[in-house]
Parts: sequence; C-alpha cells; structure tokens
Amino acid sequence: MEWFWPEGFYTLLMIGVFAFAAFVWDMPIAVAMAMAAITGAIAAGEGVPLRHQVEGEFGYVDTILIIATAMVFMKVIQRTGLLESIAAWVIRKFRGYPVLLSLGIMFIIMVPGMITGSSTAAVLTTGALVAPVMMELGVPMLQTAAAISMGALFGMIAPPISIPAMIIGAGVDIPYVGFGMPLLICTVPLAVICSLWLIYPYVRKPRDEASLEAQLAKMSRVPMSLRLFLTVIVLVVLLGGERTLPLYWPSLGMPLSFLLASASGLLSGVRWNPIETVTEAIDEALPVMGILMGVGMFIQIMTLTGVRGFVVVSALALPSWTLYLGIAISMPLFGAVSSFGSASVLGVPFLMALLGQNEIVVASALSLVASLGDLMPPTALAGIFAAQVVGEKNYFKVLRHCMLPALLTVCWGIAVILMAKPIAKLIF
Amino acid sequence: MRSSRGTALTAAALCVAVALICFVSARSFLAMRLPDPVAPAQGFERYNLSHWFPALKGSPGDSDVYIQDSGVPGGTVFIMGGTHPNEPSGYMAAVVYLERAKVTKGRLIVMPFANATAMGHNSPQEASPQYFSLDVDGGTRWFRYGSRATNPVYQWPAPDIYIHAQSGQKLDGGSKSNLNRAYPGVPDDSLTQQVAYGIIQLLNKEKVDLAFDLHEASPEYPVVNAIVAHNRAMELAAMVSMELEMAGIPMRLEPSPVNFRGLSHREWGDHSDALAILMETGNPSQGRLRGKTDAALAVTGKDKAYLKAAALGRLFIPYEGDQTLDLRTARHVTSMKMFMDMLGDVKEGGDVEVEGIPSFDDMMERGIGAFLSPVEDDRFDGK
Ligand SMILES: [Zn+2]
Repeated sequence: MEWFWPEGFYTLLMIGVFAFAAFVWDMPIAVAMAMAAITGAIAAGEGVPLRHQVEGEFGYVDTILIIATAMVFMKVIQRTGLLESIAAWVIRKFRGYPVLLSLGIMFIIMVPGMITGSSTAAVLTTGALVAPVMMELGVPMLQTAAAISMGALFGMIAPPISIPAMIIGAGVDIPYVGFGMPLLICTVPLAVICSLWLIYPYVRKPRDEASLEAQLAKMSRVPMSLRLFLTVIVLVVLLGGERTLPLYWPSLGMPLSFLLASASGLLSGVRWNPIETVTEAIDEALPVMGILMGVGMFIQIMTLTGVRGFVVVSALALPSWTLYLGIAISMPLFGAVSSFGSASVLGVPFLMALLGQNEIVVASALSLVASLGDLMPPTALAGIFAAQVVGEKNYFKVLRHCMLPALLTVCWGIAVILMAKPIAKLIF
Repeated sequence: MRSSRGTALTAAALCVAVALICFVSARSFLAMRLPDPVAPAQGFERYNLSHWFPALKGSPGDSDVYIQDSGVPGGTVFIMGGTHPNEPSGYMAAVVYLERAKVTKGRLIVMPFANATAMGHNSPQEASPQYFSLDVDGGTRWFRYGSRATNPVYQWPAPDIYIHAQSGQKLDGGSKSNLNRAYPGVPDDSLTQQVAYGIIQLLNKEKVDLAFDLHEASPEYPVVNAIVAHNRAMELAAMVSMELEMAGIPMRLEPSPVNFRGLSHREWGDHSDALAILMETGNPSQGRLRGKTDAALAVTGKDKAYLKAAALGRLFIPYEGDQTLDLRTARHVTSMKMFMDMLGDVKEGGDVEVEGIPSFDDMMERGIGAFLSPVEDDRFDGK
C-alpha cells in the first residue's frame, strides 16, 4: 500500500479520466489525453502546470512534421494517378507467381521503414502504393491494412535504421554497431510468416479475368512515364542520399524531403490542385497530430507526478520469470504513448535488468517488442494510417486483424531474448 | 469519435487561447536562457571559449572560462562542469572551485557550464525542474537545471543517425546534440561539434596537464560513483581511487573503453597531452526509475521509487533513501583535490596547489551552500 499510494492512485485516475472522456463523453482522443494529464497534475498538487504541458508536447514536434509532410506526399501520389498505375502494372506482371508476389509486397512495404526508421513513413509511402494492388488482387480491405501495419513495424525494426534499437542502445551506451544481423533475425521470419498468412491465401485464388482486366484498364488510365515517377524518384534520391552518403549529403530531414518530393509532383504532367490536396492531407493528419500532442502532455505529467517511475519500477519488481511476461505486456501497452517512448522509458531499464546476456541481441529483441506500441490505441500510428490508406474509418477493425500477428511478434521477441546467448555465439 | 465543426467564432476564440498559452509559456522558457550569476574567487580572469576558437564569438555556445594563474611555475588543471546540465553536481563542483580556489602553484582553468545552451532549456517529457536553490550565507542562490542536449533552437533538426566524423561510428540522431559524443569536434559543423572543437583547442593551447569532465549518472547505470580514465591517466587514477577508498569515499575505476568514440575521457587524451578524467556521481533526478520529479529531488535525491529499486538490487550505488547534492558535489570536489595533490608525482613539474577548497566532511556537515558566495541575481526579484 505504501508503494501504491499516491502514485498508483494517480495512475488509475489519469487512465480513468482518459477512458471516461474518450468513450463516455465521446471527446476526441487528443482532448481526452489532455484532460487526463491536467487532472493528474491537479490531483498531485501541481495545479495546471502550463509550462509542463507545452514542454511535453514538444517531444513530438519532429514526429508531427514527418506525419504532416508524409501525408501530403501520399495525397500527391494519389492525385497524380501514380498509385493506381503502378498497382496495375505490378498485378499484370506478377500475378502468375503468388508466393513471390506476397513476399515482394511485404518487402516493398518494409523498405521505407528500413531506411527511415519510421513506421508512418512506410505506411504512407509504399503502404499506400501496394494497398490498391492487394485489394485488386482480392485481399480483403482489413487484411490489407493489417499486412501494411505489420510490414511497417517490421520495416521500422529491420536494419539498417532501427530507431528503437538506437534509443535503447544509447540508454546503456552501446553504439549502434553490429545490430544488423540480430535485427534481421528479429524481423525476417516474422515478415515471411505474415506475408504468407495475410496476403498469400487471397493472392493465389483465381479471379474472373474479364472483370479484372476491365478494372486494370481503368486503374492504368494515366500512362506510366518517367515524369509520373518524378515524385518517387525525388524522394528516393533525397532520403537515400542521406543514408548512403551521410558524410557528403546535406541532412535535409524527412519533412523537407517529403515536401520537395511532393512539390516535384507539379512537374508530373498531370493536373492536380495543390491547395486542395494539402488541405485534405492536413485535415486527415490533424487528429493524429493532436493525439501526439495530448500524449506528450500526458507523459510529461506522468513523469512530474511520479506515475512514470511507479509504472517502471512496478514492472521491474516482477519476479524473474514474470519479467519476460512484464516485457511482453508492459512494452506494447506503454507503446500506447509511442513506441519510441516505450523503448526509452521501459526498454532501457529492461535491458539493464537483463545485463549479462548479449546486450545487442537483447536490445534488438526489445526494440521489436517496443515496435508493437505503434499498434496500441490511442496513438496506434501504424494502425491508424493503414486504415486510412485502405479507406477504413474505424481503425479498431484493422487492429483486430493485427492481434494474432502481434502476439506472434511478442513471442518471437521473447524467444530471441531467451536465446540471446546462442544467437550471439552463432553470429558474432 | 464525434466530429464537430466549429464556427468562425470558436476558431477566433481558440486562436486567442493559443496565443495566450504561447505568450505565458514562452516567457517561462525564455527566462531560462539568462545565465546563472557566479562570484569567482579573487585572481580568476574571465574569458570565453571563443578566445581559443574565434568562430564561436557571439554564438550562444560561447561559454565562460575562468583562469587563475598563481604566478608560480607548475602544471595546469582544467575543470569542466555542465557537459550535461541535468547533472547538477558536475557544475556545482566546478562552481565551488570557481568561488573558493586560491591557486598557490601552477594554474587552474574552470569552465563551469560547458554546454551553455543546454543550460537554458529542458528535455521534453522529462518534467525536470527549471531551477533549484541553495541556502548560502546571507541569502539564496539559484541555479538552472538544464538538459542533456544542446538547445534544439540552435541545432535542429537532428539527423536520423549521427555519424561521429572522425571514426564513422553511428549513434542515434539525438546524440549529435550531446557534447560528450562530439569530441574532438568539427570546426564547421553544428554548434555542439564546434564547442567540442573549441574545448580541444583550449586543452592544447593552454597545455593542460590534467583535465576533468564532471558528470552524474542515474543510480541504475553501471558506471556510477566512478572515475573513467584515459589509459595515460590510469596510473594516477588508480592512486586516487585507492586513496578515496581509504578515505571512505569509494569511486570505482573504469578504463576508457577503446571502441566507443566521441567521449571526453577518450578523445581529450588522444587529441591533447592532458590526462583525461571523467567522473560520475549518482543522481536520482536524471534516472529512468525516479518518481515525483521536482527541484527537491535534484537537491535531496530522496525518492521512494529508487528506494524500492535499491531493495530489488537494481542499483549500482548504495542507496538508503537519499543522495544529496551536497554528497554528490563533495565527491567530485574531494576527488579532484586528491588528483591535483598527486599530479606532481606522475608528471614532473606538473604540480598544482590549490587552497581554500572545503573538505568532504565540511561540505557534508554544512552543505555546499556554505561555500558559495552571495550574488546579485535579478532573475528572482521578489521571489
Ligand atoms: Zn553526463
């Protein structure tokens, strides 16, 4: 009881106010988060700490800019017709090879996450590209969104860039070196299984050729040309340049790269209205940006009032065999706040609790488990955007289809931690 | 989710509310950029880092550096605090030397707030206090509690990955704003890299014999209550560590890891003739396990979450409910004094003698505030 009072009470109070405001009063998630944060601060005798609320929001400035600009980019490639044209081409070309097609689609979804370390980037770029392909091939809408979400998570964790792994490593002063193989071990088996599970069964079914051909003709009404591809080429050059020649390439940052790529869409030869497109993009990204600001405020107040320490130390207090259970449950749950937050707040103490295994392998596995935070409401960045990409209003429906793959991911993450020593022997 | 479209009136009302929030919070944020006044002891002369690296002149990273020359030939010692301004015992130990030292042989250089812009803001979501205060004779002294990183206002955005220029080592992008990953620095890169470059210039041009970088670490971090020494400084550090052990102030001795680049204890030693030493004390207010976060935590280190973590065997310091700033600062101050007393034994002609530094027991008994001077501080008029 001495441990529980008062921080445990604040924890329940903040969660309770959030749930009540969001689900009973039907407030937007962002507002509900802010209300929970303010209530927690008042209960803890901090009044309404304006400075803390604003400061907490600033934790996500960069993420918010990436989301806004990536959304603009997605809308542009939609408007120019590039998305549908590519989809039609891929279907015509690879329909005869369903296994290859399933694995290929999964890999394409992962690529932007692998090079940017952001699941949002993956969902809103190649995720948006393959969504029409998958649906046209017969993958149901929700399975499509689920496959895109999972692919984006695996891409975020897969090498060369895994920001959660970097964050966990930085917390215990391990440089980001030697993570390539462990991260591949964490992600590749899962990506293969998910593509064969979520995509392949639908892709291999035969389809009514005539109606498909009509559909494909409609999709490819804008002829594929180099000019049409300009947006993607500019993006690949800008993001890829920084990754491959980091010492010589100017670091523009992802937001500016997305904006420049979007602007190049004006030269694509297809007419589209920039103001309308950007307005629509921001309008659709706004709720998520709001949620992130609410979450930032929420974390700062959690830290201020001692709720964060209560949660972390309670997780660490679990007896050793339940420690793994603690990792499996608390890291994805805390990811509700953000997967990067989970990596930093919980990943680092868990890694310290597991010192003596191979730290690089364990950190890689912990980052895999942390990535699931991007499926955890209310933030659920990967789920929300995947739902948007396929045109589903209720992202909870998408998350339901991610449950089993997510469970598998947790189990694999824990398995890798348990096998850290033999794995390390094998690869180092 | 309900989607309710507002009217022009609600939009205007929201804009006014946002402007008000921005105005009030911006005042609080901007106030933190005002420097902490200090009262250097007699004999110190003030310089800026740009004295050794002119490109920093007028930049927000142009941190103050104080030099006291005894006029008697001897060695040169450099004391640096404030690499990470969320680690207060580091800069408080430097301030105690700055305000109390009377150098009788050799020279003493003190740079209390190394990463000047990091002093002027807090890291989001850490809920750090902006200031803490100490009672001194005849008043109260206020010090800022800053951030681990350079202020992003001057170095933004972070790259996706930070590549250490000299080694090609990759770290998370945020580490580019970490002064203790930036050495030996780059003259024409971001502010943090320039400040690091300036410090290396200082070490070389002033022919520093012994250099300290003062830190704190979270109690759950393995390198805490520790001395990390460059391999050239190992002999001296081992002597000091033994001496400290006998004095009942144990500080673990750790060799500077050879494969981890950009850190002061390695690059200072590799890029100058100084014996490079980094020291860490245990600071609950920066740890990931801490509970309620406020100025009191920074000063007392009292925390129930850490007490529980200690019972769980998760900590690398003995923790019995508190870890005061007095204790943490006294550890740094006393360890540095021992280093200086023995410097002449390992470096011929390197003797540096400093008087006026309070003993460990004095600081524990009377608090470090008793060894600071009162200052004019117009930041807190009427507070
Ligand atoms: Zn430090």
